[in-house]
Amino acid sequence: MIIKKTQAVFLIFVLAVPVFGIQNKIIIDDLGYSHVIDSPPKRIISLAPNITEILFALGLGEKVVGVTRYCDYPREAKQKEKIGGMTNPSLEKIIALNPDLIVGFQGNTLRILERLRSLHLPVFAIEMGKTIESVFLIINTIGAITQKEEIAKILIQSLKNKYAKIQSALQDIQHEPKVFITLHGMGLWTCGKDSFIDDLVRKAKGLNIAGKIQRRWLPYNREQLIHEDPEFIIIISNSQEEFSKTKEWIKKKAHLESIRAVEKENIYFLDANLATRPGPRIIDALDHLARILHPQYFETEK
Amino acid sequence: MKAQKRRLKLLLILLILLVSGLLLSLLEGSVETSIKDFWDLLFNNDKTHAIIFELRLSRALLAFLVGASLSLSGAILQGYFQNPMAGPFVVGVSSGASFGAVLAIFLGLNIYILGFPLQSIFAFASGFAIVSLIYLLSQRKGIFKIETLLLTGIAAGALASALTSFFIFLKSESYEQAVFWLLGSFALSDWTQISAVFPYFILCFIVAQFLAKDMNLLALGDDTAQSLGCAVNRVRKIFLVISTLLAASSVSVSGIIGFVGLIVPHWIRILIGPDHRCLFFFSSLAGGTLLVYSDLLARTLLFPTELPIGIITAAVGAPFFIYLLNQRR
Repeated sequence: MIIKKTQAVFLIFVLAVPVFGIQNKIIIDDLGYSHVIDSPPKRIISLAPNITEILFALGLGEKVVGVTRYCDYPREAKQKEKIGGMTNPSLEKIIALNPDLIVGFQGNTLRILERLRSLHLPVFAIEMGKTIESVFLIINTIGAITQKEEIAKILIQSLKNKYAKIQSALQDIQHEPKVFITLHGMGLWTCGKDSFIDDLVRKAKGLNIAGKIQRRWLPYNREQLIHEDPEFIIIISNSQEEFSKTKEWIKKKAHLESIRAVEKENIYFLDANLATRPGPRIIDALDHLARILHPQYFETEK
Repeated sequence: MKAQKRRLKLLLILLILLVSGLLLSLLEGSVETSIKDFWDLLFNNDKTHAIIFELRLSRALLAFLVGASLSLSGAILQGYFQNPMAGPFVVGVSSGASFGAVLAIFLGLNIYILGFPLQSIFAFASGFAIVSLIYLLSQRKGIFKIETLLLTGIAAGALASALTSFFIFLKSESYEQAVFWLLGSFALSDWTQISAVFPYFILCFIVAQFLAKDMNLLALGDDTAQSLGCAVNRVRKIFLVISTLLAASSVSVSGIIGFVGLIVPHWIRILIGPDHRCLFFFSSLAGGTLLVYSDLLARTLLFPTELPIGIITAAVGAPFFIYLLNQRR
């Protein structure tokens, strides 16, 4: 009898395996490695601020056990264990946190992602893309690997709705003003075609004067800047203080007085945390930028 | 024998330093581990095993191997040029090798030829090009001049570093990559890197040891050496090749780590005299030990961030270099 019982149990087990097997989806990450999705991850490490924001937005805050030292949003993320910077995380810390999922991106450098993989850690690498639409893809992918597809769908839909609203507000625009985007500081660093901030400017109906250059970040030539004569200068900074400093420098010491943006004081602040992170708040960045470039199209809605 | 006693003493001191350095490297890190963990390691516990064995041990051993290779390379170059100011970094071999490695990466040549990664072959080739250039320039005038060696080395090294930066800038604009190649780091060390350096080191060490007597003869001048039965030309060529090989294999795993190959052999020569039969061995041992400690400092000094190790070796080595220059006046 006992034998029969165990046989029965065995039979159930065998029958059940394929059923569970169907649920074991395989997802291939952007480096080409496959990941089997079985039980939902319980200990997640994020290797970038935008990934952290997405994880929290998907309601996975509790499951996040480690973040980079740049991960400051939402506020709860600051309480999490820090694993170091994006390009020089402490491998020891990562191992010690005992993660069952590490989400990284190509900017962590391939060397680090490969090293983590060689330590048999569950790394999932994401390509960040160059457009606002790629943010939806990233959210979708992270939703899939963490088995939060439903919440991801809802999040993406609400972002798309906001996005559509901005697009419809801007649809009649004929004149796209020339824009110079710059990082705070005195380097005149700007972003070229390969940066998704370039896409942000385009979607906000502006013309990035460095948009023809095939790079992500580059220091812009001052003569070229005067020649292009942008109507707007957007300073990407972490704080109002940094912004004011850079603005003062551009107005008084940078010898850029002849530029239209400086003449009319069309120099504006854009929060670096919004604009440089392809996460859920990217649409807010787009909204801010669109309102800076085309305030008249948003006046009526208040 | 006084000299023998001295060597024995030095050997003991170095071994004690090395063993304690390795132990410290295994115990110290951003994750706290106790002696108890260490014992646990012998039995189970995956996590501590990965941290201590995969990360710390591989890192400490790689630091040792690279330090030993660079110092041996330096000892050979100093004997070769009969000049205490030679060394793989000063002569420009390190910079040349790093340029070769970066160029291979830039071209996306992630392939193997006869089992050798192309990156190392490029590193060796461009390191060797720089050594040959210096060799030719120093031979041309008939008499060998220190100024020629140093200035050519500096110029060639600067050119190689500039080209390295240029290709890194072209490709990735990544500051991290530039720091790695120009200042060195063991942050991502693993066992495959050890297996990439170890054979070169052993091979070169055996060859160097085998030819150490001839190196002693070279110190008497090429003519005298020739008349004493040393095949001067062939020996010189072999030494040039292995010193480059040592530097290139180190640089292709760890980036440029300056001054180790300069100060260690020089200092060992002061301690035990100029006999290359001992000099090669002790330089390797001391150089490896020095880098184990330097790396320990690099990863703990500014905890939790890491310093590039080249900053530490340069902080020690550059003042020493200036001191040497001053001594010679």
